[in-house]
Amino acid sequence: MSADKNVSRRQFLKSSGTLSGVTLLRIGAPAVIAITEAACTAKQNNAAYKVLGAEEAAEFAAIAARIIPTTDTPGAAEAGVIHFFDNAFATEMSEMLGAAREGLAEFNVALGDARPGMSRFSTLTPEEQDAYLATWESSGFFELCRMMTMFGFFAMSKYGGNKDHVSWDLIGFEGNHGAWEYPFGYYDAEYTREQPGGE
Amino acid sequence: MASKVTFDAREAVDFAIIGSGSAGGILAKELSTAGFDVVVFEQGPYRKAEDFTHDELSVLLRGELLGGGPDVNGQTFRTDKSETAVSGPSAPARYAQTVGGSSVHYTANFWRLRPVDFKERSLLGPISGTNFADWPISYEELEPYYTRVDWEIGVSGAPGPFDAPRSKPFPMPPLPIKSSGVLLEKGAKALGLHAQAEPHAILSQPFNGRAACMKCGYCMYYGCEAGAKSSTLAAMIPLAEASGHCEIRAESAVYRIETDGKGRASEVHYYDPDGREQAQKARAVVVSANGAETSRLLLMSASDRHPDGLANSSGFVGRNLMYNAHAAANGVFEHPLNDYKGAQVSRIIHDFYDTDEKRGFYGGGGIDARPLWSATPLFQVLEGMPPDVPRWGAQFKDEMAHNFTRQMSIVASTTSLALDSNNVTLDPNNTDKWGRPSIRVTYHDHEDDLAMAKFLQDRSMELFDAAGATKAWRHPIRSTDGGEHLLGTCRMGDDPATSVVDRYHRSHDVPNLFICDGSSLVTSGRGQPTMTIMALAFRAAEHIAAAARTSNI
Repeated sequence: MSADKNVSRRQFLKSSGTLSGVTLLRIGAPAVIAITEAACTAKQNNAAYKVLGAEEAAEFAAIAARIIPTTDTPGAAEAGVIHFFDNAFATEMSEMLGAAREGLAEFNVALGDARPGMSRFSTLTPEEQDAYLATWESSGFFELCRMMTMFGFFAMSKYGGNKDHVSWDLIGFEGNHGAWEYPFGYYDAEYTREQPGGE
Repeated sequence: MASKVTFDAREAVDFAIIGSGSAGGILAKELSTAGFDVVVFEQGPYRKAEDFTHDELSVLLRGELLGGGPDVNGQTFRTDKSETAVSGPSAPARYAQTVGGSSVHYTANFWRLRPVDFKERSLLGPISGTNFADWPISYEELEPYYTRVDWEIGVSGAPGPFDAPRSKPFPMPPLPIKSSGVLLEKGAKALGLHAQAEPHAILSQPFNGRAACMKCGYCMYYGCEAGAKSSTLAAMIPLAEASGHCEIRAESAVYRIETDGKGRASEVHYYDPDGREQAQKARAVVVSANGAETSRLLLMSASDRHPDGLANSSGFVGRNLMYNAHAAANGVFEHPLNDYKGAQVSRIIHDFYDTDEKRGFYGGGGIDARPLWSATPLFQVLEGMPPDVPRWGAQFKDEMAHNFTRQMSIVASTTSLALDSNNVTLDPNNTDKWGRPSIRVTYHDHEDDLAMAKFLQDRSMELFDAAGATKAWRHPIRSTDGGEHLLGTCRMGDDPATSVVDRYHRSHDVPNLFICDGSSLVTSGRGQPTMTIMALAFRAAEHIAAAARTSNI
């Protein structure tokens, strides 16, 4: 499978933001997703990382925290998205870790070029972070971070993120566990009231 | 996991059936319960209901039930034969590799064809540059088998105003209406259209010893852990195995059908679960592997006697691939729909089923209301967000949080015209994980099919407006680069020069080789083909069994 992953890495490095989300996801998907449950124990925000160093983890976490920011509701930080990154890079996406690290290094070097004296995205203010991140929107590196943030936010907690299902609560998704009863929503409830015994 | 009976590969069984899906599962049940010894080959694993999960990352995005993507199957795609086909991130021919085949992961929208679908060529005349043709059979001839699907597979529904005649009522009432259905119905009334209940291969009540739907919402692309979705895994395979005449040989990937000195199919060659080459002798072979896999296998089975592939003297094996064109429009409403709960669709509109020459192009289609992207969170944020919203940041977050429960889609599906240039061939460069030549798809939607999709998307936008959507937008329509409906590639017909199988699914070239699946369809219908594939399988099984009993194979 290493040949396939090399292809994935090339595609990632060359890719632009014009790829649709699902497209990029599928490039990385076999890698991203086949993460075993056993490998996914990190859930606490202070838990040790498997492969990420503390500094690079802080950078990826800072990027994720602008992609889905903490507002009056939880964001990527509260969902522990960085642990999804770490799990993925430790297991099925291990072949992507090198490219991700190269991307991050380039990202911070360019930051220093743009803002002399600054070498770490995580030390910027949120407003500065948003402005700088916007200049990377069309890059494969940004798209990788965006996709992984989405996965880490919304995928099942067993993959390392979505701590306490904060993302599902945020969007009003009551969970994936199974049985529901009619009516489901406002309009079918109204319809049922208007047509007693109708359905 | 062991089947109830196993057969010796060196002794010829009555039937080797390749594929355990919508057609193969029914043929296995019908032939085995009629007393014939049957071995069913399925390249995917033998998952049971309890093996199915709601893991969106794995099922929807990784393709857990598909057996992976192009990195595993090597499938390639191009729009024209002048191009070199390449592997994209997503396979052009998408089907489930698991016992029960794609009936395990389908959305279970179950439309019958109508009389017009079988004779539209005669009614409308030829269409230049296409292989538009009548079927050799009529709706009336297939109707009893549609009814068998209703009652033996398990279909819920209620008659609609334009439905084809049926000889027996639905065995179960439809699933209850959802908010998306209510809103579609509201829009339809305002526009003078007719919304009707969607028929489903999902049980609305306990039926034939199976449990009713628990409305979890994980139908489209997922397996049903309750067995309420009427897959052949749930409805047919258990009966086949209980007959004592059927062995399900899972994780067994067929790579060749061998013929003997008389030109008859004699042996099925396959890779066993350990990747070793094996061969099973059989008195007759039934190929029900889906429109892409069936074509590939026949092309791979070329020999001196059949230089262009088995059963391919017409050159029609792999040709005329029809995906059904699609269009989606998305809308957001003031109050929560929570449309992620329950089966995808509850109301459809069939006012535009027939071709209307006033529209200026051939074709017809159906419209349905469903959550589509907003059935699950990742799908929603990756594909279902409005185009005017940033892809990240606070505004993105607010919009996704607001929309998830309030969003729905109106999906249109249309006819596809049969074209020589849309086809399945063997990729000259790629192989799949077993080493078989990869499926290469060449496809470009006919302009009439895209025009029909656009026409229905226009109506969808009007429906959103009439239903009171606070926001609505179109998903771009473009010629597709893949699909799940794999139709037409070994079409049935009376003329061996322009078809692969006869009206009873016997190949014109090889008397003991039968082909029955989506490849048999002569026209595409209006977008939900599986009901028809299943009806054809019941009908084929009856004729094949009769022929076998009278030693006429």
